[in-house]
This record gives sequence, structure tokens and C-alpha cells, in this order.
Amino acid sequence: MPNATLASNLASHLVKSASVTRTEIPGTTLLKWFYDMALIREFEVRCMQAYQDKKIGGFCHVYIGQEAVAVGCVAALEHRDPIVTAYRDHGHALARGMHPKHCMAEMFGRIGGCAKGKGGSMHMFDKANNLYGGHGIVGAQCPLGAGLAFATKYEDEVIKGGKSDRVTMCFLGDGALNQGALHEAKNLAGLLDLPVIFVVENNGYSMGTAIERGTTMAHKIITKAMGYGMEGIEVDGMDVLNVYASMKDLCDRVRATSRPAFVDMRTYRYKGHSMSDPRKYRGREEEEQYEAEDPIGKLQKFIKDRKVATAAEIETIVDRVKVDVRDAVAWADASPAPGLEELYHDVYVEKWGPYTGTSLPEMLRESGVRSQE
Amino acid sequence: MPISLTMPRLSDTMEAGTVIKWNVKEGDKVRSGDIVADIETDKATMEMQCFDDGTIAKLLVEPGKQVKVGTPIAVIAAKGEDPASVGAPSGSAPAPAAAPAPKAAAPAATSSVPVTPVTPIAPATPSAPATPRAPESNADADGPRMRVSPVARRMAEGEGIDLSSVRGSGPNGRIIKRDILAASANKSAAGASIDTGTKLALRQPTVVAGAPSLFGNGPGERIVALSGMRQTIARRLVESKTSIPHYQVTMRFAMDALMAKRAEMNDAIAALAPDAGVKLSVNDFIVRACAIAMAKHPYINASFGGDHINVHGDVNVGIAISLPEERGGGLVVGVIRNADRKSLRQLSQESKFLAEKARTKGLSMDEMSGSTFTISNLGMFGVEHFTAIINPPNSAILACGAAVEQPVVRNHQLAVGWEMQATLSLDHRVIDGAMAADYLKTLKSLIETPASLTV
Amino acid sequence: MSEEMRRDARIYLLGEEVAQYNGAYKVSRGMLDEFGPRRVIDMPISESGFAGMAIGSAMMGLRPIVEFMSWSFSLVAADPILNNAPKMLYMSGGQFGCPIVFRGNDGAGGQLGSTHSWCVEGLYSNVPGLKIAIPSNPYDAKGLMKTAIRDDDPVFFLESERLLSIKGEVPEEEYTIPFGKAAIRREGTDCTIVSWGRPVHFAMEAAETLAKEGISCEVIDGRTIRPMDWTTIFASVRKTNACVVVDQSWSFASPGSEVAAQVSEHCFDDLDHPVLRVHSDDVPAPYAQNLEQEMLPNPRKIIAAVKKVTYRA
Repeated sequence: MPNATLASNLASHLVKSASVTRTEIPGTTLLKWFYDMALIREFEVRCMQAYQDKKIGGFCHVYIGQEAVAVGCVAALEHRDPIVTAYRDHGHALARGMHPKHCMAEMFGRIGGCAKGKGGSMHMFDKANNLYGGHGIVGAQCPLGAGLAFATKYEDEVIKGGKSDRVTMCFLGDGALNQGALHEAKNLAGLLDLPVIFVVENNGYSMGTAIERGTTMAHKIITKAMGYGMEGIEVDGMDVLNVYASMKDLCDRVRATSRPAFVDMRTYRYKGHSMSDPRKYRGREEEEQYEAEDPIGKLQKFIKDRKVATAAEIETIVDRVKVDVRDAVAWADASPAPGLEELYHDVYVEKWGPYTGTSLPEMLRESGVRSQE
Repeated sequence: MPISLTMPRLSDTMEAGTVIKWNVKEGDKVRSGDIVADIETDKATMEMQCFDDGTIAKLLVEPGKQVKVGTPIAVIAAKGEDPASVGAPSGSAPAPAAAPAPKAAAPAATSSVPVTPVTPIAPATPSAPATPRAPESNADADGPRMRVSPVARRMAEGEGIDLSSVRGSGPNGRIIKRDILAASANKSAAGASIDTGTKLALRQPTVVAGAPSLFGNGPGERIVALSGMRQTIARRLVESKTSIPHYQVTMRFAMDALMAKRAEMNDAIAALAPDAGVKLSVNDFIVRACAIAMAKHPYINASFGGDHINVHGDVNVGIAISLPEERGGGLVVGVIRNADRKSLRQLSQESKFLAEKARTKGLSMDEMSGSTFTISNLGMFGVEHFTAIINPPNSAILACGAAVEQPVVRNHQLAVGWEMQATLSLDHRVIDGAMAADYLKTLKSLIETPASLTV
Repeated sequence: MSEEMRRDARIYLLGEEVAQYNGAYKVSRGMLDEFGPRRVIDMPISESGFAGMAIGSAMMGLRPIVEFMSWSFSLVAADPILNNAPKMLYMSGGQFGCPIVFRGNDGAGGQLGSTHSWCVEGLYSNVPGLKIAIPSNPYDAKGLMKTAIRDDDPVFFLESERLLSIKGEVPEEEYTIPFGKAAIRREGTDCTIVSWGRPVHFAMEAAETLAKEGISCEVIDGRTIRPMDWTTIFASVRKTNACVVVDQSWSFASPGSEVAAQVSEHCFDDLDHPVLRVHSDDVPAPYAQNLEQEMLPNPRKIIAAVKKVTYRA
């Protein structure tokens, strides 16, 4: 049946204005966002192609349509703020600054991947960019997100004796709304005053189940924040400027008050849940309605209208994205498969029995991150 | 350079796929993101997206043909290339997936197998050359296998003790450590001869000759490849019919009251809401009767679970829906959830929706799964009686015939009336005959008193 | 724990009733007063949430000690403790480790009924990426706990409620016991008995009785299950030529089965009899005292097994 509830809700009731206004955002920032969003889209398109070419195995969940969320949210954070997300994680990794070649090599299961090809599509980690993982079990990242916030606060206040100064952003899909782990995490975050923002990337479907078939109060999921004593806001996630402005304000508040918050981020995935999903549960009209709302197209129009860049300059960025992703695919393809010695590596920090200890992936060695402290 | 489109892997388990339909023809311009074909995988029919811009130079695979994932199925001429001059990529003609690999029937070389002279299997132990190790693998040919614990065997070797001279004190005469210690202490070990003769039982290789077909192929005979759905139907129904102890119970229903009620209600609906497009069918009444009857007969709405019976809480009625030839034929079961809690009108709308969707866009997994009882109705074809195969994990399926006007006996008088026959197929592991009859009795009273179905 | 928390500010303790109540089993008595509520933290009954939270904090470099009032309750936290903690290092390609200790009471014996009597070593020893310590006495508990806290990998620390009341010599001074180093509790020549945790005491009792009958047993206390000290076990079996494993978990796919398999593989030519295992009976833990005692490994069952492998039955 068509998902009428979500569509009709998108129009109103969302946070549209915030203290940061659209005109304040510098042109260079807009162009960077445009590049990042276009990069994610092109990256995902090539992932789909590579999956069909059997270069990518297992599950593959693409982020097409939701680009404004990762890019806008990451822009609202400081680089030192940790983030953690679920399995649809390529977009967050790229938005956070992971080089697409390491991301693609991980997709291909190659040694050059962010996790040496041992994590795969659903498990993107980047210590240099404070990305604490994509996590494959629905909702499992929520207690971890609370734990990251616990740790930043503990470090800042208990160890250093200062004031809590970092915000953790924990992304989840609307499917995770019904997992116990989320509710336990929210309860603990509320109880311990943890500076964590749970961002529900509400694309209306948990796999093929429309949100109102899976969760109560689907039209107003921020009610699920109130019960835990935390602020909840609704944001139109199809507009990166709006995402940034709303999330920037929220991050400032969470940073200042060290209280958790909850965001109903309305978005849409244009593609199936995973590569094997034919999307028979929703109509093509519904998809087209959202495609008309395309966040990249919207940003492009804004850039043109504000005369930040000409059509030709935008075309140049699009071309650069294509080249960059093509280079990433080529690099990933050239990266060798992990050697068999990797099988028993990184299981334990300590060397014992058949286990050979641990070491950082090439990606981090390039960026100079130190090994386990 | 021309771009080759290959059969995509559209699910994690997909090995081969069938182009159901090309949405493009040679010479068409395509853009990245266009849906160029519908592909049938092992799981569903999916859209195939193209990732590049260009012109379709050649379609290499006919619709309906199954090819392996990775096989080129079309060629795209990139911008600036002449589609006409771009042919199929050389040396990569589509390979049929299920091409029967010609099995070279190896000629039987039975008696001519050279038999190598038998050599002893156990090598002489360097430390004790005088006492060859007792043969292990072939000892049973000559008598009971000698039982020795591993450590006893090793100690005997080290001490040069002949195991055949040692009496085992362990279970079943197993020679154990203390037996060797005792033998060693007595220094009574005398090298008795050990039979080193080894026999190798040779078996004649069995030859299976390929059986030639005894039947000629008549004119017009054709081989039709199984669609994914047909394979599923074949597998599931064989599984059901061969693993479930089926039996059937048939009952007749007087349909006069129901036919009258239906006409009356349809007239009322047409008058009140002419645009709603609701028209109750006989089947809608049967669905409702079957569903609400479950309250009294929970075991009809149950599944056999090996060592238990799962009596379901919800009544989800499956409706068998046949698919039109142009969608590849076959049938699916659409599921009406909680049918016992829905009105006739809701049931009617839902079955209509499911049937239409099944025949046009196809049902989602969700709409096809979770049934607890199934109804198959061939009444619209005029069929009066048939039996159905249970749709696992259900324990029962109702096969409904047509309501037919015919001579009947009512109140001891011969009259003309509407009658219908319905046959339940049941899983005897869950439902016994009397239980089935009792359910049909309830069903009969509901159907023959149709007012009870409208409340 | 207190000594370690004084040493390293990154260490904190959390769990149900650990702070104001001083611990459900009084293990953390006085710790709240010393370290305050920011480092000794009471948790609601929310094992999945707080286990996951502690793991998240460990990814960032803190070194949490998580108390499960009973390991039986860890089952509701199975996803974080089995899917996150032991796999984080591997899945992140060496980027994020998880230096965390989970501790609590394990095993049956107090008439708590089946849901509260889990011997989780049977389940959790199957999982690579974690370590399991299971002390049998107070001295070891301290030394192993210090090692666990300092370990950079996730450690499951299995205590026994039945042993908490045992008094033993615990020196005040600093010492640690390395993981993967078994203790030979009693030397012997006729049969090796391998055990860990509470059943070590039953093995010792059995060895005592058997010694009176002239059967000399060597009792090995494994101390840790992952890693297991194969060197010590194999050396002992090569000497005695007989082996009995005593493990309080169920037999099917258990650490006891693993020892039997490893000994059979590595000491095949040294065995005079197949390895025998003494486990809890393959039934849920009953409540009735007599049934519960019968179900658990006990000296009678151990004696019978040792007699069988030494052909003295």
C-alpha cells in the first residue's frame, strides 16, 4: 500500500527555520557540501554497479536520497565529536572525510580498505575521523553511542577535571525505533546526562515495512524522546541547508547543557533496502514524488540562484566527482586481497596461541594515527 | 569503447537470471539510471538499471532466456561511437546457464584395471625392525581386531614386546598400559610371528549406462524451461504432497440463502455507494465463514512443528490467485491477515486488491507470507468438485467448487436450489477426521445462515 | 579492583547495585566512598544498555569494569557482549580495541532455579576475540582480576557465588597472575584431572579419596579458559597416560569437550583410555536441593570417571 502518512507529513511541522540563516553560509561551504553529496551519490551508484559485477559481496545498502542528512549533520559537528551509525554507512564515512578509495577497497574486501577488508560494507570505521563504526545489527549502535558520550564526558570531567565539551552523534534508521537497545540507550543517556544526539534517519521503511506498520506513534516519533526526558525535534532531511541549520543549533544546545537529544530526520532512500530488494511494497509514484525533492538538485539550484557558481562551474564539480570515484574504484580494484596471515591478525591485541596481535590499517598509517594506547 | 552490459547479480544468492522484458530496443538512447530490462532472479522479478550514458547498439539475449550472472546481455555505444559498427564483444556469446554439460560416459574398464601387487601397508618401524607393527586396517579379514590402547601400543614398540603375545586386561580384551608394564617386567616377550599377509578386497566398478529415450518426440513437442516461480511451485508442492499425510473431507452446502443475501447486499451497496466499486463475491462469504469458524476449531488454524503443534493466534487466510499467461502464469497465495476480524466489505476489498496486485505488479513477500489457512476456489470456472494440496506450513486447505443451481431435496420435497461442494484437505498429524467434520459442520451452519456473517 | 582504580583514572566500575548497595554480593564494599559516584556507578536493570554503553566507552579508551549481578543476566546483553566487544578490533581492522572486563557470578549450586544458574563458559568460550578467566580461590581472583583489568582485550571474569565465602590467603602486596598459565594443585602419576573454577574443589576432594585407594591424581586448575594452558595439560597427560575433565557447564560443545578433543589429538599415543568428561547433567538446573547437587559435577562422579580411565573400576 502507498505510504501516505509519511508523504503527507513531510510538508509541515518540520523545523524550517533556525538561528543560522541560509544567507550566512559561505559559498565555499556550499560548494563543499555539493561536492560531498554528489560524491556520495556517485560512489553509491558505482557500488551498485560493482555489486552487480560481483566485485562487492554480501549485503550492500546504498544511501542514495539521504545524502543531505550525513553531510548536513557532519557539518554541524566539530571534527573531534565522535559519530557512530548503523549499516547504511558509506555516506557517513565519506561525509566524515574517509577517502573514497579506502571506502571502496573495503567494499571490495581488499587490504587497502578502512578495515583491511575485514569489516565490509556494513562496518566502516575511521579512527582519524572519529567514526566509531557502522554496525550491522539494527539498534546495536545506540548503546555504543551512549557509551561514546559517556567516555567524552568522563575524559573531560573526571580525568581532566574540566567541562564536558564534545557531542556524540548516533545515527539510526527508523527500523531501530523498535529495538530494545535504543530504548535502554535513551534511558541511560537521560539518566546520566550524556551529550548524545540520536538522529533517526526516518526514510519511512524498515526494509519493506512502512513505518506505521512497525512502530506506534509513527506520525510523531519524537514522542519517543519525551518519555526519556530529552528534547526531540523534527527536521526536513531532504534539504542540506535546513539540516545544517537545525542540527547546528541542536549541537550547540547539547554541548552546552550535556543533555541528550533526539531527531526525527525525515528523509527517503530512493533505492531498495539492500541490493536484492525489488521495492514492490511501494509505488513508483511515491518514489518519483521524492525524487522531485532531490536534495542534490535542490542544493544545486540554490547555488545557481545565489550565483555562488555558474552552471559550467557546477558541471566541473560533477565531472571531478566522476573522476574521483572512478579513481577510487580503480585504486580499490588494484589493492590486493588481504593475505591469509590477516586471518589470525587483529583478533586480540595481545599475541597468544595462533593470534598474531594487531596493527593499524594502511589508511591510518597514512594519516599518522597512533596505535592502541 | 563500447560498454558491455552484463547479467547483474541482483540478490546475494543469484547465480543466473532471465531477461523477462527489454524496456529498450537497439538504437535507443539510454542514460545512467534508466531501467533497461526486467530480470527474473531466483527470488523475484527486479528492474535492471544501466549505469552509463549511450546508445543501445545490440541486445544479445532474447527475453525468456536464462543466462549466468556476468554474461554480456547488451552492448552500449558510448558517446561519439557509431552504434551500427559496435557489435557483440568478440568471443563472449551468451552462455546458457543450464547447458547440460555432456557427460562423457566413461567406458567401463572393469576387468582390465591393472591390479598392482599388494605391498604391506604398515611400514617397518625403524626403532624396532624385528617386530613389524601389527596390521591395522586389514586385521578384521583374518580375525577379531586387536584392541590396544594408544599408549600401550607405543610402549610395546619401544620395549620390543610382541602385542599378540600379550593378554589384554581392559574392556573387551583391550591391551592397556599395565599389561605392557607386566609383560615388560616378566621379560616374557617372545616374538611370535605376525601375519603380514594383506588382502585387498577388490570390487567391480559399477557401470551406469546412460538410458536412451524409449519414446519418440511427437511433432509439436517443445521443451519449456521452468520459470523461477514454476520451480518453487514444483518444489513446494512435491514437498507438501510427499511429506504431509493428506486426506480429504467433502461437504455440500445449501447456498440459496447466501445467494439471496449476497444479491441483497450488493444491491444495497450499489444504491448507497455506487462509486465504491465494491461487489461481494461468493468467495468473500466463504473467507469470512472459514475465518470466524476458527474460533471454535483452533486446530484447523495450526501448523505441525515436528515435536509440537503450533496453534496460531491470528487467523490469516491465504487466497490462491492464478496469474495470467503474460506474467508467466503460475499461482501465488495472497494473505488476508486477521481475516476473522474483518467485515465482508473489508475482505472483499482486500482480496480484490491482492488479486489485482498479484496480476499486475506482483505481491510483496509480506503479502504472500504468514497464512495460517488457505482457500482455493475454482467455482468461477464451473468446477463442481476438486481437491487441493496443502500449502505448508498450513494444516488445511479448502477447495471450493461452484454454487450450482440443481435439483435438490428441501423439506422432503424435490426442488430447485443452489448447492456448493467444498473439500477440505487436511494434515492428519494435526487434525483428525472427526475434527475436520466438526469444522465443516460449523462452516455449513454459518454459510447456510448468512446473516451470521454480516454481523 | 580498588588498587587498579587508584592506579588508572580510566578505570571505572558500573553495574546493578554496585554503588549505594555496596554490591549485591558486597564485592564492591566501600568503593563508592573512595571513588565517588562518577567512577562507581549504579545502573538500572538494563544489561543490554549498560553493557553496550560500557563497550562504546572502551572503544574510546576508557577501561570499564562491568558487573553482572549474575552471568545469567548477561544473556539479555548477548548482542553487545558477543557481537560488539570481541569483534570490534577485527571488524575495524585494528582501529578500535575493547579493553573491558565483564564480571559476575557464574554457575549453579544455590537453588536459584534454572534461569539463574547458567554456567556461561559453555556458551561464551565458543567466541573468538574474548578471554575468559575463572578463578577457583581468592588468591587467584585478585591476581587474575588485575591481569584482566590491564588486558587490552575484552575479558569475561567468571566468579562463583558459592566460592565468594571461601576465605583464603590474599596478600596485600601487588601481584598479577598471567592468563593462560594453569596451576598444578596436586601432583600425581596415574591420572590427570583438568578443571577450572568451582569444580576444582570437587576434583581435589575426589583426588583425596582416590589417594586412599592408591590412585594418584594430578589436579590441574586451568584458571583461564581462553587462553587455555595446553602445554601444562599435555605434559601432565603424557606423564599419567589418563585424563578426566571436570567442567560445570553442559557437555555438548563445551570447554570440557574442547579439552577432551585437544588431548585426544595431541596426546593420542599417550592415552591408555579415551578421555572422560564430568559435566553437569544435560538438563536444566533443578530447584530441589538433592536434584541440583546430583546434576552438578561432584566428587562421586569424578571418582567413577578416574577409576574407569585407570581400569580400576
